[in-house]
Amino acid sequence: MVTMAIAKQTLEDMLRRKILLILLIVALGMIALGPSVGFLSPRESSVVLRSMGLAVILIAGLLITILSGIQVIPTEVERRTIYTVLSKPVQRYEFVLGKFLGGIFTVFVMIAAMGIVFLGVLAWQERHFAPDMLKGVLLTFFQMMLLGAMAIFFSTFATPVVNFFLSFSLFIVGNMSAVTESLTSNKNPVTRILASIVHFLIPNFGNFNIQNKLIHPEVTISNETVFIVQNIVYAIIYSAVLLILAILVFDRREV
Amino acid sequence: MAAAISIKGLTKKYLDVWNKTEITAVDNLNLEVEEGEVFGFLGRNGAGKTTTIKMLLGLIFPTEGEASVLGKPLGDIEAKAQVSYLPENPYFYDNMSGWDVLDFYGRLFRIGEPERSKRIQKVLEDVRLDPKAWKRPLRGYSKGMMQRIGIAQALINDPKLLFLDEPTSGLDPIAHAELRDIIVNVGKQGKTVFLSSHQLPDVEMVCSRVSIIHRGKLLAMGPISELTAGEKVEIQAEGIQNGVLEKLQSLTGAVEQSQGRIRIPATDADKVSDVIDIVRGAKGKIISVIPHKRTLEEVFVDTVLKAGGD
Repeated sequence: MVTMAIAKQTLEDMLRRKILLILLIVALGMIALGPSVGFLSPRESSVVLRSMGLAVILIAGLLITILSGIQVIPTEVERRTIYTVLSKPVQRYEFVLGKFLGGIFTVFVMIAAMGIVFLGVLAWQERHFAPDMLKGVLLTFFQMMLLGAMAIFFSTFATPVVNFFLSFSLFIVGNMSAVTESLTSNKNPVTRILASIVHFLIPNFGNFNIQNKLIHPEVTISNETVFIVQNIVYAIIYSAVLLILAILVFDRREV
Repeated sequence: MAAAISIKGLTKKYLDVWNKTEITAVDNLNLEVEEGEVFGFLGRNGAGKTTTIKMLLGLIFPTEGEASVLGKPLGDIEAKAQVSYLPENPYFYDNMSGWDVLDFYGRLFRIGEPERSKRIQKVLEDVRLDPKAWKRPLRGYSKGMMQRIGIAQALINDPKLLFLDEPTSGLDPIAHAELRDIIVNVGKQGKTVFLSSHQLPDVEMVCSRVSIIHRGKLLAMGPISELTAGEKVEIQAEGIQNGVLEKLQSLTGAVEQSQGRIRIPATDADKVSDVIDIVRGAKGKIISVIPHKRTLEEVFVDTVLKAGGD
């Protein structure tokens, strides 16, 4: 009850943030205008539309997740609303979980809105529904859930500005998992050790990107369902670990 | 009577990383607040009042010492269910209406429906918030209305113990008087109130006991009647020969004379018997001996200045 009350309050608060709403409106506008960009490559207008739609959802989702993830806890401290919340019979873990869930519900609502418009535009343009695209939207959401958990973890000890750059840069590095993996077998021992640490410690965000496969039907993934389920389970477990760490840090934090 | 709050040697130190110095916000504080008591916690800005309250609520952690709230250790969830807090200059989620904010806090206290709605209605009536404003977003509320919501959220759980930090600061005289009356009523209901305030006339009117802290240290504590009890006495006498006046003046400092009467406006209580002896020895007659009661403000200023306050 307490966690969900905090999550609901956070969702309502986040859905009123102008910056998040502007991002959503711009993203929805770009997705809706997607068909008009098809003229750039008439033969592959479908590819352009799909690439652009999935890319817009990813970039807007990324910004919405980071901006909400870095704000949800520091805003409570800054506005001092945290005093009236934590002086009530609220466990600190309930607070952190409530804030995380509220942030993730926000991201879900916004990605879902973009996904619905994207699928609608695609169906209107191609005269048939493309359920495959849902997989891309779904994996983007779980990728963002993992990123959100990371931003919440950092927000328990870092300032929002530091958190923004930390979360953003780790997202970029985590998306280059193929590069860091190849460096783990480098001949140079220092490079090898550093690459191993980076590869195993930073979430593997790159694994969630199946846009290439969805855009180009000739690219295949062996056992796609298992791949998607594995990534979702990975996102849930990694997020849980990050939230446990966030709770441990926040439990000792003075507000 | 059991102690609602018990504090033993409570100390809070902060490390100033840049200057590599330690700042002691609360220094070896000892005090007890009994159940059902309205207790005033006085001190200048930065004296350590809010730090003490935040430690008692488990928002920050003591460096040394121990304390209990309603017989439970600091931060205990069971105790928190029976405690409430109104911070200084409170800020609530301004996109929510007064009703919705109270609904949110009611949920944090795990109060189910329909009990929650009944309590919200009751506390909004108790704090005399205009019903037209109940469903309006808080961003349109005045300072006084916001403070009423603050008190309402502190009453939603029908608490045994309330921590009120400057509940009447910055209010217009009418809102001020109304909120003071609400606090008086809360006290009359048998709830324990821990009131931190700079409004000393309010404290004098509302509280039974007060403590004064300065630079984190407890300087004085006791019933207001004892703290304000007169140390100075006014004496009036008549029929005294002129020669004695100088003697009285050197003993008491100031003596006023008019129409055959003398008035010693404020002499120390321990000099009263000497004055009476001198007056009687000079064949004079004592008309009145009036002990001067000090205001709480005078007690506060004297206590803090004596402790080196500037």
